Amino acid sequence: MFNAMFSMIIFPGFLFLAALSFLGEFIDRKIYARLQNRVGPPWFQPVADFIKLLGKQEIIPTEANQTMFKMAPLFATASVVTAFFYIPLWTPEAMYSFNGDILVVLYLLTIPTLSFFIGGWYSTSLYARIGTVRSLTQLFAYEVPLFMGILSSALLANTWSLTKITEFYVAHPWLWLMNLGGFIISLIALLGKLEKTPFDIPEAETEIVAGAFTEYSGKLLAFLRLTLNIEMIVGAALLSAVFLPFALTYNPYLDFVIFLIKLLSITFLISLARTVVARLRIDQMVNFCWKYLVPLAMMQLLLNLAVKGVMIK
Amino acid sequence: MHNPSEEFKIPIGPQHPALKEPESFSVALRGEKILGVDIRLGYNHRGIEKACEERTYIQDMYLIERVCGICSHSHSTCFIQAVEEIAGLAVPRRALYIRTLVAELERIHSHLLWLGVAGHEIGFDTLLMYTWRDREIVMDILAELTGNRVNYGINTIGGVRRDISSIQIQETLKAMDLLEERTKYYIELGLEETTIIKRLSGVGVLSYEDSLHFDAVGPTARASGVKRDVRKDDPYASYGEISFDVITDTGADVYARTIVRLKELMESYKIVRQCLKNLPDGPITVRAPRKIPAGEALSRYEAPRGEDVHYVKSNGTDKPERVKVRAPTLANVQAVKHMLKDRFLADMPIVIAAIDPCFSCTDRLVSLKDDDKKADVMTWQALHDYSIKWHSQRGVDFGKLNKKLQERLSK
Amino acid sequence: MENNIIQELVKEFNFPETSIRQPRERRISLEVGLDKFTDVLEYLMKHFNFTHLCTITGLDEGQNLSFIYHLTKEGGILINIKVSVPKENPVIKSIIPYFAGAEIYERELVDLFGAKVEGLPSGNRYPLTDNWPAGQFPLRKDWKQDMLDKKAGENA
Repeated sequence: MFNAMFSMIIFPGFLFLAALSFLGEFIDRKIYARLQNRVGPPWFQPVADFIKLLGKQEIIPTEANQTMFKMAPLFATASVVTAFFYIPLWTPEAMYSFNGDILVVLYLLTIPTLSFFIGGWYSTSLYARIGTVRSLTQLFAYEVPLFMGILSSALLANTWSLTKITEFYVAHPWLWLMNLGGFIISLIALLGKLEKTPFDIPEAETEIVAGAFTEYSGKLLAFLRLTLNIEMIVGAALLSAVFLPFALTYNPYLDFVIFLIKLLSITFLISLARTVVARLRIDQMVNFCWKYLVPLAMMQLLLNLAVKGVMIK
Repeated sequence: MHNPSEEFKIPIGPQHPALKEPESFSVALRGEKILGVDIRLGYNHRGIEKACEERTYIQDMYLIERVCGICSHSHSTCFIQAVEEIAGLAVPRRALYIRTLVAELERIHSHLLWLGVAGHEIGFDTLLMYTWRDREIVMDILAELTGNRVNYGINTIGGVRRDISSIQIQETLKAMDLLEERTKYYIELGLEETTIIKRLSGVGVLSYEDSLHFDAVGPTARASGVKRDVRKDDPYASYGEISFDVITDTGADVYARTIVRLKELMESYKIVRQCLKNLPDGPITVRAPRKIPAGEALSRYEAPRGEDVHYVKSNGTDKPERVKVRAPTLANVQAVKHMLKDRFLADMPIVIAAIDPCFSCTDRLVSLKDDDKKADVMTWQALHDYSIKWHSQRGVDFGKLNKKLQERLSK
Repeated sequence: MENNIIQELVKEFNFPETSIRQPRERRISLEVGLDKFTDVLEYLMKHFNFTHLCTITGLDEGQNLSFIYHLTKEGGILINIKVSVPKENPVIKSIIPYFAGAEIYERELVDLFGAKVEGLPSGNRYPLTDNWPAGQFPLRKDWKQDMLDKKAGENA
């Protein structure tokens, strides 16, 4: 009991995840800044920002639905943290696993978007409403290629459990190379999930201020931002578990370092993407996902089916 | 509960992250589609025209320079050109060349600034950071030549106030080479980067006919194929003696406006080089009378944003009878409504930005006294003391620092 | 070219010598009565291709308010058409049918000079605030800043 509580709340649970997410935010911001010829923030900046926001006055619009407005950030934080427990980190085994946990993780990762929708919608700000409608529209565009990309890897491993997927690829080294296409597709779709440029349409500052987050302030905003950061880490961990299950040495210290390297490489790719492109329009985004990402993900699925056929023979 | 398929209005401004100055655009939307835009200007009206009537010509020149921070040289030059025309002053050629030089440097800094802002509006902050870094090169040159980064104060009635040395010429030429290389890179980037092309092309279309109908000016008009450039049509300063091309494009959209501005940068480098190479010798100013004889004149000037028009009427005293300023944004802002019709909300910031709006220019004076509060005036000494106190509260002791500096200097 | 335009205008509308002149290269100044104004405007647009309206300047000349329409064409020739109307009843015609861009310049005349523009569609005022006291026109010569301050004091 105590062990379970420790691992959920402290290591590798919530606190560790929060620390990791601050590190992730720092790396993201620093790389973004350096690529833009700026100095960038010091390492403790994300923590300082978080603490500062906690101390700020909380303003809730009188028109807003108080309960929903306050609950939304909690839903979001809770769901992303839960998703983290089912993802294998530096050991092939996740904290908890059962056959079918891959679907649970994917759906838990959808909840933040829905929570932002609820919070933004009930804040009654016009900017927030446009932002929330945009994030839902976007949800339907990126979820399909993301699911297809991740499922193609599961298909090859012939299991619905993340732990089993990792075990399969450890048993069959080099087979993960088959999924490189799926990795790239999922990474692009993940940009949409995390609302990063070029898919930061729901919070496009110059059009709708901050989208769904427009009316949030103080502690609630701090938790929303923390959720976004944790979501980035969980998303990156999911991709690294599904697509990059290599170099596991069964030495916990070495594996931990390798895990961090994988995680930070994915963070780096996300920062790189937002440095080199402009924001798309919502119609262009939906078009792009359905016209290019979905067919490519479909091809990855077919390829994996064919490989599976060969292997079984 | 609100239904997204019905029509509703959202306010963009007077305070909004997309606008760097207060103006109000009230946008009627259905979903993401813009049904109509209602523009309310005037938030920056400071009554400069009325204020000009109560000041002398020299004072006015500095006041007019402050109509706008970005195109300060444009306004002051345009104004004194009118005054010089009424007074019948023959401005020395060297002064005209220096005015042209500063005018083009100003255009370079303004266009680079625009490029960065445009990048920011479409969520491409990297472009903003890059162009604004490069803009520092030309800002440094302007500071070197005139003493100021903005509001240069180089003009005076009858000439210019500062001469330029051969060292400054060398430095400026070096900076031009560097900037030209960077601009070539941006042109390449603009032609190749897919997301930029996707966001800009086909957006904010203003056809050739509409451009004439709405009296658009500057790069906005030229991107619609209207060959209108005061520098060529109605040469002032030394533009009559310099060879350059008027850049036009037939794209008529925001992308065309971007390309026009980028290519204009290349022309500006050409003009700056010619100015420096052919800089005539001689005096830089002629004596101007304090009282300007009665008369009137209309002066036109191609500011970075388009045609700037100043009308000056004098009455024989040392103060003008009437000064009228028409900044380019006022001419262009009326076309914005047309450009936004039936477009997406996401296009709004970039379409507004594409005319390179400068609302301070657009609106000009009425100074209002605040009766309720007494003006808070601080003397120089009080400000100085306040600053020392403020810093010492935060642990910075200027007494010690000064001593250290003294010691170091004496060594 | 400027001479050509002047000659043609004189021929067409019988302007007296004093009302039309050429102050310098590429500039023509013309004074015209309100009755002939739109005819002159149409004639210039049609025969000489004056396609661009630079701006409209308002002037307070004591008894009269004058409005100068600055038109230009490709090649840089600029014509200043001056129309004067009595200050008690400063009514002018809107030129929006010819130049859509004139709308904001005309609103400026309404706000700052108190001109009455026939045919100007209703819309937001420019550039003064919505609560600006009626009947105060800042660019008229008899307007002084303290007039406004007194007014503000009364309200407060």
